[in-house]
Amino acid sequence: MFTVKIWGDRGSMPTPGPDTVEFGGNTSCIEVRCGKRLIIIDAGSGIRQLGDSLMRTDFRAGPIKADIFITHTHWDHIMGFPMFTPIYVPGTELRIRGPITYEEDPLEKVIGSQLSYRYWPVRQEELAAKITYEQIKESTFDLGDGIWLTTKYLNHPILCLGYRFEYRGRSFVTLYDNEPFRNVFPTDPEDPQYDESYAREGEEAAREQNEKILAFMSGADLLVHDTQYTAKEYVSGKVGWGHSSFEHAINAAHKAQVKRLLLFHHDPNRTDTELQELEIFYQAKLRGRTSMSVEMSREGRLYTIDPVE
Amino acid sequence: MAGTSNLLKVRDYIGSMPSLPTTVSKVLEVCNNPKTSPMDLDRVISLDPVLMGKVLKLINSAYYGLGTQVTSLVRAIIMLGVNTVKNLALSTAVLDKFTSNKNFRALNMEGFWRHSLCAGVTAKLIAKKRGVESKALEEYFAAGLLHDIGKIPLNNALAEEYVRTMAVADRDRVSLHVAEKRTLELDHADAGALIAAAWHLDGAISDAARYHHAFSEYQGENRDVVLTVAVANYYASREGIGFSGNLYPDKLPPEVFEELKFRKEALEELEGPVNAEIDKAKVFLRLAQ
Ligand SMILES: [Zn+2]
Ligand SMILES: [Zn+2]
Repeated sequence: MFTVKIWGDRGSMPTPGPDTVEFGGNTSCIEVRCGKRLIIIDAGSGIRQLGDSLMRTDFRAGPIKADIFITHTHWDHIMGFPMFTPIYVPGTELRIRGPITYEEDPLEKVIGSQLSYRYWPVRQEELAAKITYEQIKESTFDLGDGIWLTTKYLNHPILCLGYRFEYRGRSFVTLYDNEPFRNVFPTDPEDPQYDESYAREGEEAAREQNEKILAFMSGADLLVHDTQYTAKEYVSGKVGWGHSSFEHAINAAHKAQVKRLLLFHHDPNRTDTELQELEIFYQAKLRGRTSMSVEMSREGRLYTIDPVE
Repeated sequence: MAGTSNLLKVRDYIGSMPSLPTTVSKVLEVCNNPKTSPMDLDRVISLDPVLMGKVLKLINSAYYGLGTQVTSLVRAIIMLGVNTVKNLALSTAVLDKFTSNKNFRALNMEGFWRHSLCAGVTAKLIAKKRGVESKALEEYFAAGLLHDIGKIPLNNALAEEYVRTMAVADRDRVSLHVAEKRTLELDHADAGALIAAAWHLDGAISDAARYHHAFSEYQGENRDVVLTVAVANYYASREGIGFSGNLYPDKLPPEVFEELKFRKEALEELEGPVNAEIDKAKVFLRLAQ
């Protein structure tokens, strides 16, 4: 069994209400199952319902044991942690891993300090679960039970990792929050700040990183990609905010021969109707032009990646 | 015994090394401005050896062990993003105990800064003249800028002793690193190597900091950078651009120029461009004369 279930796919801030029923209003949280192993990506507000579900199901068979991978520590990706019920249950074992930008504060403090009296009635020290924290970087990890994980730094205003899981010949990749790398130095010789060697080096560095991202998602059976904006929105004021457009994600995934693409990290202002229309629009545009299947991520939906036997 | 305690003090200081006061206010101005251009961000960082080292440290510790080292700030800004670099610069610059001018007792801070910048600019210009590929030029700059960084902990963590070191160099008419060894049992090359190790800069930057006086002992893969920095250092001292405390610099053997295939006379052609770069930096930082 290799499955992926979306518990939250909204960007930036939870958006409850009648306009977000179909695609969901919770922020990032993904449940991955590889055989009997439980892996959770991000602790956005969606992790609350995942926790309750685990207590109703897995907990009957024994304490919850999970690996949690945080893509980055922006608030929408960690805010649900204090409401993840298993942390209050004795016997729970959580191994939390993720990147942090400043080595002065460890991951434990960055995530765990949400559980301090000024923000929450329970302190981290009072949790019943056994929780370990580990800072990780770009690398490859053997997670045991035949599961391999490769990580890649993405382009976001803080250090942010993409995750690629390989299990029994299949792969699942997360690529959010991410903006395509770009040369931020002036390339127009007319620009008063233009400098040839900067322009050239900048071009090269951005190109190199984008190629690495393509290789990272190459051939994925399922890819969850940041698509907060349309291309039009992106160019009108969102450059440098750390997110991708639908157009960029679709083109990159197609180029990398991804099999199935989930459009993820929905803008908080995007209604169900708009997301529905965009989905129909892009699917129609792509018909007959790619073998890749493309859809909007929907909260609560389960995606099965059949292992190669 | 004195050597051991000095070493401990230096190590301790390196753990929380602050930025140079010359650049702090400019760093705050540039990094607090949400519209700052990447070019200005690059410039304000590359004018402060400490900040530069710390940004390179961040990128190399993030990407540590992944192929080649990143020694170019341009690359670091693109890979880490403008915001990350800005925030890092801010958090370094606002360390409440940043080096104040009066901490600089033995060394003159302004002179030290100018010497460092001159060495960086000169190393890069020499490399360019010699046809080093443009990709590698930033490494020459960084290695030159940071070559004397080991003097900062000596000056600040061993303030009293370092005043005495200067007096010994003066009395015995020896190069400063020789006097350092005599009085402190460690010299700024040793301290520089410690800093480079703490910042995960184990390539050309580290080798230049460690061997810019003892280059004849060095046979590693960064020999070209090390020798270039030695020449740049010599040039900065000879022209009196800035002053990093060395009244009696060692002579540079002619073989160094031969090995680099760079004529000593060609140094004359650097005067204009080097001064222009330093003036630009001064205007940028709005330094008084
Ligand atoms: Zn986000
Ligand atoms: Zn984010």
